[in-house]
Amino acid sequence: MAKPNDKQLQMILEDMVIARTQAGRLWNLQRQGQVGTIAPIDGHEAAVVGAVHALEPESDWVLPQYREPLGLRRYGPEVLDTFMLYNLGHPAGGHIPDPVKVAPSQISLGASIPHAVGLAWGMSLKNESGVVLVFFGDGASSEGDFYEAGNLAGVLKAPVILFCINNQWAISTPTHLQTAADSFASKAEAFGIPGVTVDGNDPSAVYEAVFNARKRALNGKGPTLIEATVYRLGAHTTADDPTRYVPSDELSAAQEKDPVHAFIKDLTDRDLWSDTKQKEIETVALEIMDDAFEKAKNTPLSANSLMDHCFVSDTSRQLRQRSFLMESMGKSNE
Amino acid sequence: MLEAINETLHSEMARDERIVVLGEDVGRNGGVFRATEGLIEKFGESRVVDTPISEAAIAGSAVGLAMAGLVPVAEIQFLGFSYQAMHQIAGQIARLRYRTQSRFESQITIRAPFGGGVRTPELHSDSLEAQFANIPGLKIVLPSTASDAKGLLTSAIRDPDPVLFLEPLRGYRGIRDLVPDEEHIVPLGKANLIKKGDDVVIISWSYQVELSRRVAESLEGEGISAAVLDLRSIVPLDIEAISQIVSHCGRAVVVQEAPETGGFASEIIATINDECFWSLEAPVARVSGFDVPYPVGMLESLYVPDEARIRSAVLKTMENG
Amino acid sequence: MAFEFRLPDIGEGLEDAEIVTWYVSPGDVVERDQSLLEVLTDKASSELPSPVAGKVLKLSGQEGDRIKVGDVLIQIEELDPTPPRENTLQKNMEIEDTTQEKTVSNIEKQESFISVVPKVKASPATRKLARELSVDISLISGTGSSGRITNDDVRLAAESDERASQPPSPVVNIESSTPIQDRAGLGYMEPGEHNIKGVRGVIAKNMSAAWSEIPHIHSLDEVDASLLIDFRNRLKKVNRQGASKITPLSIIAAATVRALKKYPMMNGHVVGSPAEKIIIPPSVNLGIAVASDSGLLVPVISDANDIDIFELAERISELVELSRDNKISAHQMQGATFTITNYGSLGGRWALPVISLGQAGILGIGKIEERPVVHDGKVEARPTLPIVLGADHRLIDGDVSEAFKNSIMNDLLEPLNLLVTE
Repeated sequence: MAKPNDKQLQMILEDMVIARTQAGRLWNLQRQGQVGTIAPIDGHEAAVVGAVHALEPESDWVLPQYREPLGLRRYGPEVLDTFMLYNLGHPAGGHIPDPVKVAPSQISLGASIPHAVGLAWGMSLKNESGVVLVFFGDGASSEGDFYEAGNLAGVLKAPVILFCINNQWAISTPTHLQTAADSFASKAEAFGIPGVTVDGNDPSAVYEAVFNARKRALNGKGPTLIEATVYRLGAHTTADDPTRYVPSDELSAAQEKDPVHAFIKDLTDRDLWSDTKQKEIETVALEIMDDAFEKAKNTPLSANSLMDHCFVSDTSRQLRQRSFLMESMGKSNE
Repeated sequence: MLEAINETLHSEMARDERIVVLGEDVGRNGGVFRATEGLIEKFGESRVVDTPISEAAIAGSAVGLAMAGLVPVAEIQFLGFSYQAMHQIAGQIARLRYRTQSRFESQITIRAPFGGGVRTPELHSDSLEAQFANIPGLKIVLPSTASDAKGLLTSAIRDPDPVLFLEPLRGYRGIRDLVPDEEHIVPLGKANLIKKGDDVVIISWSYQVELSRRVAESLEGEGISAAVLDLRSIVPLDIEAISQIVSHCGRAVVVQEAPETGGFASEIIATINDECFWSLEAPVARVSGFDVPYPVGMLESLYVPDEARIRSAVLKTMENG
Repeated sequence: MAFEFRLPDIGEGLEDAEIVTWYVSPGDVVERDQSLLEVLTDKASSELPSPVAGKVLKLSGQEGDRIKVGDVLIQIEELDPTPPRENTLQKNMEIEDTTQEKTVSNIEKQESFISVVPKVKASPATRKLARELSVDISLISGTGSSGRITNDDVRLAAESDERASQPPSPVVNIESSTPIQDRAGLGYMEPGEHNIKGVRGVIAKNMSAAWSEIPHIHSLDEVDASLLIDFRNRLKKVNRQGASKITPLSIIAAATVRALKKYPMMNGHVVGSPAEKIIIPPSVNLGIAVASDSGLLVPVISDANDIDIFELAERISELVELSRDNKISAHQMQGATFTITNYGSLGGRWALPVISLGQAGILGIGKIEERPVVHDGKVEARPTLPIVLGADHRLIDGDVSEAFKNSIMNDLLEPLNLLVTE
């Protein structure tokens, strides 16, 4: 179905509310010194959740940037569990277990886009049915990787969905300083693929856009560039102070269009949601996150893991370093 | 140190109107660490430019700006992202004078922070200086004090050759010292013997100099006279200074945050081999990161050389021979 | 149980922050995540939410105070105390035994330092050798380029306990040379290339120099040894110290010393290449070549001209024993003016020995064996001693060498001459 049915709408809202609630807790954890740098998802929920609900987790891959993980609940509890390890700074945070088709967060902007193209290309070489959706921001679209990968995707007709979340800001750089193009979607012309702009605050619209792009890809018609327009309601990260550069009236206007609040109202009006449900979901959201965080904190860590997984087997120098590490650990434990 | 850098940018831009500052978030935001704070207000939008997120374009357009007779001072937000600009830095900036036989020169300064100990996300702390050192045509400067930051940045900006100016993340706020108010120039390629000693010399750069200094001071009380040599720049390298102090002491320890294999310490040890092999009483020791990618936050403290590791290496060197 | 909330580094590299506003006071009950205070950092102002629910006990700072990262901000009595979470690294860290093989770092295996080494020029390897041989490298003068101390310098110093100023003078018969390098079996070395080093190297150097510098003449003869043997047997019974040490070698040595006194030119040597001066020393220092584990050693009996045959025998015996046990010092091997080499002890009969640099002659002694000898017109089987005299032809002509040799032979045929003190 190109449009989500009522059940799907409810599931989408549930995921959006969970994401928003958990984001609040996560921000606080950072301010309490319990986790590392966080990039808040506030304002992006509809775009992320709407998109993934149009995918099939069993066959379709998601390559996030770094803001999306809380919105990927559709892909299973492992995503959050691993995300909390990541936020803690635990190396296991990089390992989302097989068969979950979600890649770990990508700090290097745009770097995942060629990966997505390659993955989609590989899947079609192996006759594996499915698509790859890669998330990236307006800022990331200025990186060379975007242009090179988009171009390649077009030529290969790779079954990939290039999903650009335009939240208006790349840290402090507004979009009019990011590009002179009419839109980010318009850059698709350079790749010879269709470019679609969609209201990222409207989860149904996002769902529909992704659904269609997916169908195209599965039919061998190749990639689509989707630009979902949203507004970054929070800071870039916990290390950023947006009050320095975000005009307050602009922010207020965007807050009025808060996608989570809007959708709650929308579904409540349609009797698909209620205050009770809202509170219930908020509670569950925090429980899930607290559990995941507890689990993460109790995940053992061995000093040896510093050296693990660089190569399959250590080089002789790495072996020596490993011994040195164990020795100095032994000494510090005396 | 951050204030010293900011001050230098202000005074240089006032002094030389050819200077253009470009980079991500350098204008309105004043830089994500506030290094470029106040510049856009004072010098305007045409001289302080918030670029799109394109390190290759930042580095590459710097070449063009230089060709046009301007003096670009570019910022790469974190050294780890310089990989995106690598082909412009290595393939173009470093070679411009050479391949045009000085018809064009790249009076370009690229500033970038790096270094660990602050639990940053991936690629924000990586030490890449050794990789750049193997590119002829590129100078590499790493201040360890606020005063040197001012003096060296001044020299870097005025140097007609391209300079990679690498700032220690931990040192932005962690390093404070007296900085001269007036114009302060520290020439490139002159190491600084920040502490004299006779038994062993600890050679390092950037934030590790501070840790080395602390270790040396504490060893003084244990009867070991340790000198500390702050290289300040690894290209050009002050071979004379290294040779003199190592010949004098006969023992040396080189400290780097970067992974062991292929790190710049290797180059220093080779230089010591060339210059003062006969004076050596013990093998030159290296204290470095491990041969793995820069690890996640929970493992960071195991990875980054700390005072304990430096101290241990010095003691071992003193035992040897 | 009071929970201490310490100021975290909320901004990637912050050192401190200023307390702007407290939102709570002691006694207030707070919920988890409730804003406790606002702080101002270099980057931004931030609200800090409470990590726990409970009652505020104490505020550790006033509005306007600057607090360092890690310092306590506030103490809260927890409603539902959770066990204190230690630094996860310590709590969860296990020191796993690595299951992979550990390579032993060779950096660790260094010997302890013996003496403080001043900054003389010596490679690290040389210094290590000096340590191994317990030599104080600072006392050695180097023979390498620019005065650098070489490994040979160190080895020589080890042998002599003082600065080696002269090369030692081992004499080696090419026929009977013991391969020093390899003790696995006489004359055995592994196939392949070997570096020449150590004593072998020194010997090689000296041999080559001696052979190329000194024009050798060799004069060969055989002596009836029966009288010498008889003399020896009878002398052994004499009640005199040293009598028990009398051997054929010591008798031959005594005869040689007498001859050297008669013909001082045989005791001298030529200096300069090819020839500049002749040195005639005042006394006879007789070198006796001895085979030992470390090769051919040549201990020296100094002033042999001043002692009688008994003392000579004693001294020879003593020195030979020391040499065999490798306890001879370099000092005891210096200053020979003439050398006797006894390849007879190795089973050899005839050889053409090489004269040592710094000498003009050498006497080679072969094994005493029965041979047909003409005596009183009849052929008899008698013990015979083969001798070979080598002489430096720059200094010694045939007349001198023959006279010298004859003197020795006559004394061996009439050993009572050796008891005559002159």
